[in-house]
Amino acid sequence: MAGSTRGCAMTADLAAADSAISLRAEMARARRRRALQLLRRLVGHPSFLVGALILALFVAVAVLAPLIAPYDPNKNNYRYVLMPPSAQFWFGTDAYGRDILSRVLYGTRVSLLISALVVICTGILGTLLGTLASYVRPLDGIVMRGLDGLMAFPGVLLAIALAAALGPSATTVVIALTVTFTPRTARVVRSGVIVVQGMQYVEAAQAVGAGHARIILRYILANALSPLIVQLTFVFAVSIIAEAILSFLGVGPPPPAASLGNIIADGRSYIQEAWWIAVFPGAVIAVAVLGLNLMGDGLRDIIDPRQRNER
Amino acid sequence: MSEQKTGMKRREFLVAGTAGIVALTAFGTGSAQAQVAGGEVIVVQGSNPPSLDAMATSSGASRNITMNVYETLYGFDEKVNPMPILAQGVDISADGLTYNFKLRQGVKFHNGDEMKASDVKASMERYRKVGATANLLDPVDSFEVVNDHEIIFHMKAKTPTFLEAFSSPRAPAVVIPEEDAAAEAGKTSLVGTGPYKITDYVPDSHVTLEKFADYTQDTRYDGPDGFGGKKTAYFDKATFRVMPEPGAQVAALEAGEVDIVETMPVPAARRLANSPDIAVQQNLQWAFGTFILNMNAPPTDNPKFREAIQVALNMEEVMGIASEGLFGLNGGWAYPDSPYDVGDIGAVDYYNKADIPRAQALLKEAGYTNAPFSLLTDNSIPFHGKAAVVIAEQLKAAGINVVINQVDWPTALNVRLQDTGWNGWTLTMGIEPYLGPVAITATLTGKRPHFVKNDPELEALYKELISGETPEIRKATFAKIQKRLYEFFGIVKLGDTGQMQGLRANIENFKMFRFPRVYDIWRKS
Amino acid sequence: MILFVARRLLSAIPVLFVVSLMTFLIMWLVPGDISAEIGGADATPAQIEQIRQQFGLDRPLLERAVQWYGNLLHGNLGYSYLLDRSVVAAVFERLPVTLPLAALGLVLATLMGTLLGILAAVRHNSWLDQSAMVAALIGLSIPDFWFGLVLVILFGVTLGWLPTGGYVSFTDDFFGWVRCMTLPTLTLAFTQMGVIARMTRSSMLDVLDQDYVRTARAKGMRRGTIIFKHALRNALVPIVTVVGLTAGVLLSGAVVIESVFSLPGVGRLIVGSIQRRDFPIIQGGLLVTAIVFVFVNLAVDILYGWLDPRVRDDR
Repeated sequence: MAGSTRGCAMTADLAAADSAISLRAEMARARRRRALQLLRRLVGHPSFLVGALILALFVAVAVLAPLIAPYDPNKNNYRYVLMPPSAQFWFGTDAYGRDILSRVLYGTRVSLLISALVVICTGILGTLLGTLASYVRPLDGIVMRGLDGLMAFPGVLLAIALAAALGPSATTVVIALTVTFTPRTARVVRSGVIVVQGMQYVEAAQAVGAGHARIILRYILANALSPLIVQLTFVFAVSIIAEAILSFLGVGPPPPAASLGNIIADGRSYIQEAWWIAVFPGAVIAVAVLGLNLMGDGLRDIIDPRQRNER
Repeated sequence: MSEQKTGMKRREFLVAGTAGIVALTAFGTGSAQAQVAGGEVIVVQGSNPPSLDAMATSSGASRNITMNVYETLYGFDEKVNPMPILAQGVDISADGLTYNFKLRQGVKFHNGDEMKASDVKASMERYRKVGATANLLDPVDSFEVVNDHEIIFHMKAKTPTFLEAFSSPRAPAVVIPEEDAAAEAGKTSLVGTGPYKITDYVPDSHVTLEKFADYTQDTRYDGPDGFGGKKTAYFDKATFRVMPEPGAQVAALEAGEVDIVETMPVPAARRLANSPDIAVQQNLQWAFGTFILNMNAPPTDNPKFREAIQVALNMEEVMGIASEGLFGLNGGWAYPDSPYDVGDIGAVDYYNKADIPRAQALLKEAGYTNAPFSLLTDNSIPFHGKAAVVIAEQLKAAGINVVINQVDWPTALNVRLQDTGWNGWTLTMGIEPYLGPVAITATLTGKRPHFVKNDPELEALYKELISGETPEIRKATFAKIQKRLYEFFGIVKLGDTGQMQGLRANIENFKMFRFPRVYDIWRKS
Repeated sequence: MILFVARRLLSAIPVLFVVSLMTFLIMWLVPGDISAEIGGADATPAQIEQIRQQFGLDRPLLERAVQWYGNLLHGNLGYSYLLDRSVVAAVFERLPVTLPLAALGLVLATLMGTLLGILAAVRHNSWLDQSAMVAALIGLSIPDFWFGLVLVILFGVTLGWLPTGGYVSFTDDFFGWVRCMTLPTLTLAFTQMGVIARMTRSSMLDVLDQDYVRTARAKGMRRGTIIFKHALRNALVPIVTVVGLTAGVLLSGAVVIESVFSLPGVGRLIVGSIQRRDFPIIQGGLLVTAIVFVFVNLAVDILYGWLDPRVRDDR
């Protein structure tokens, strides 16, 4: 981002000397040019492309689950408990006689939905807190210390405690993971904003009398966005794993709903007798997370090279 | 009884699937096995004992350990009849108002002191304060020490069932030294009179027991019998390990790292049926699977609605999945062929019907309009959660709007104590059916019955039951109780569940019981 | 430097206060208490009520909170009735399990990660680079508990080389302890090394690209010397940061690993205490973990300041 920010700042500097109107037009044009360039570079980046394709596949599976699942994922069948993979049940069946393949397909849906909600909530909260901390300086200390406090909780323990308090449910998982991932996201936003804040074009915008809301939205956040997007891609990846961990520890979405995590949790008592229950959803998680990580790497290489390989 | 026949078939199938199990249940008492002294036996269980203060808890995880360490005046024998253990015997006066217990002489505590009547008195008085089932001593007015080996319980009123209740292992009224009498719950010196003494306790890891060299055997018997009898410690050390993962427990058993698995997962038992290193024992009369309905909260406040649930359920599927195939179909409230078995009285037209049209007609009659049915269950006991999932699917098929509320165990106990906010609750009753009709009916009556609201007719029958003078009279009353349970449907009997225990094949003379007895077993040399 | 450390220490106090406040908030929300655990599955409602009174659980939250903070000021973290020992004793009893696990995991992850990273950077864009980065990515993408389960099946069950779980104290049996800790440490290290490997690679690449390294190379300095003496030393700053972050993650990871391998560590103590509602342990345990976390970060900051003096003035 460093290069483009600097270029942008220069354009802004000139424009401010001219007039506020031409500044806006110039910036809009620059932004459009940049977006097009970005898209071209993304498509050309192999790891982003592979990652995006994997993610697209998962999204498709999640959306189409009811159409492609061979069986009702919640249908119990006493006669078919713990059947190994076969032509009839590709991934085998669980202790309820339910088809693992159908549960994995539906589970992908639940897991992706939970992770997507975490990404959205984390994005909103992280942006709010990060901007608040950096823009309203007196609040910085309080907000950041509060976030440090949250970070000092081991995430898993926080989630288990929350689940005990709120009862295990998809909502609890979303809340727990949001609380866990927001502090770091807010930090990313905050440092992004602080870098931009000192830039001349922001000062220029303030000089021409733009309101706070406008400055934050148009100038500051727009520039803290790249690190945020990269961060959120990784939050997405980690959320999928975290959901599985929470379900494994017994605080995931309640039955009979299938999520990738609680299928593994169902299978952990049968790890020797019916390895297929835990192995297939585990492998699916690994592939999905791999895809997201690849995509995140690609995004970072291209839109935010400064942050390379940090999380 | 047609349902029971199906159940028997299921059992036969199961036994066929686990060849080798049957032979082992015929353990050898008088066989030619040579006992071997010394060494260590390791028992593994899933839960951490919440306390080693036997009288303060009714948790099974504690009982498994403490019953090897402490003893009671009276306890149950193998056939669930009260037998004297630390007592020599009891003289009950004709009016039933005094119980004169004579104590066995020369019985030593782990600290070397001899057990005396003053210790018994102090223990009983402590039980009144910290005992988890302190109310079992409610009928007792006072304890009178006659001499070192004689103590009298003065009763407030005649209580024919007192000795049974007093012998209950639920939260056993064990005898501990007088010095521990003032200790708060969980703060005793852990001294008892049993064949093993506690030497180390690391929560979530293990409890180590060591053979008590000066143990005073009860020579009136030939060998161990239920909770009492003549106990001989062969192993020098017995360790109870806590491993929460069932898979890890089995793997440890296979690897020879542990000797006895207290709860053996059924699929693992099937897989290991032909293993020469591992033996499996089973008990099909281990617990009742039940489904409790809240008679106070709509829609379950309507008896027609509750009846609809009763007839909609397919018990074979519920029990088969929830117990992993180890079950008996039984709509009765006593185990088949047990002293209080009254057959299928009341159950014939209602148990295991899986009759969706009949259920839908009843729902219509009840005026049911898709109100949510909150099914409370927990994730701590696998049977509970699994039964809930299967029940939910079946009730949904009948047109009931079921929402599963799966929480952890403490939360479940908390929620079910609320008068509303839940409609159904899955619960296995382990100890009550073992103790018999009085214990079962007690949970369904009184200040707070399981199904929240009292049934006056059942209350009256309970009073009749506890004042019944002879077992025959009590059995007749129990038949009426079972019939009544199939009239108002506050609780649904799902079936009988079994339990399996796995052990290394070189552990000899082990016989499955309500707790793993680590005495009178040894390792083949 | 002393001023810097003192300032960091002071800033830990509000953090710990937030942690303890959060714990209280959660405790207030959590339904149920230890009466369920003590009573067991067969407990009747009357029994539960009796146990509640016995342990003073019917007292209002505020009263309990005031008492807890009062005790805390006297350095008393409370007493667990369920475990029959003080919170400090209960936690310190478990630290010999968790600390070696986390420390060994961290050391192994750092060793494997930096090695992979250096290899990848030195052979930039080669097959070695690519396979190292794929390995790192896979490590990042696999759920740790699942990887642990797979290792148990492979080494514990199928091959029978290592125990499947459980714990032997190293004072009792050193080799038994090593055998118990091998799989958990491997699981933890493998799933954590990815981040470190990637960080090492990228910061090494940055440094290798800089003028002084090129100069050194031009002057004909030996390859090994350049990599380990010049490049790695300078690449160390971001690596240390990541290692510090990993240390925090390891505490969470240890919770899961302890559950998979049945290790009686601090993580399982707290998880178990949440499940049985042993409030003193939950509060004390979370506070102790937070303190450990804060101190690890402090150590990282100090190391950071030592490696790069500019940082000290920055803050």
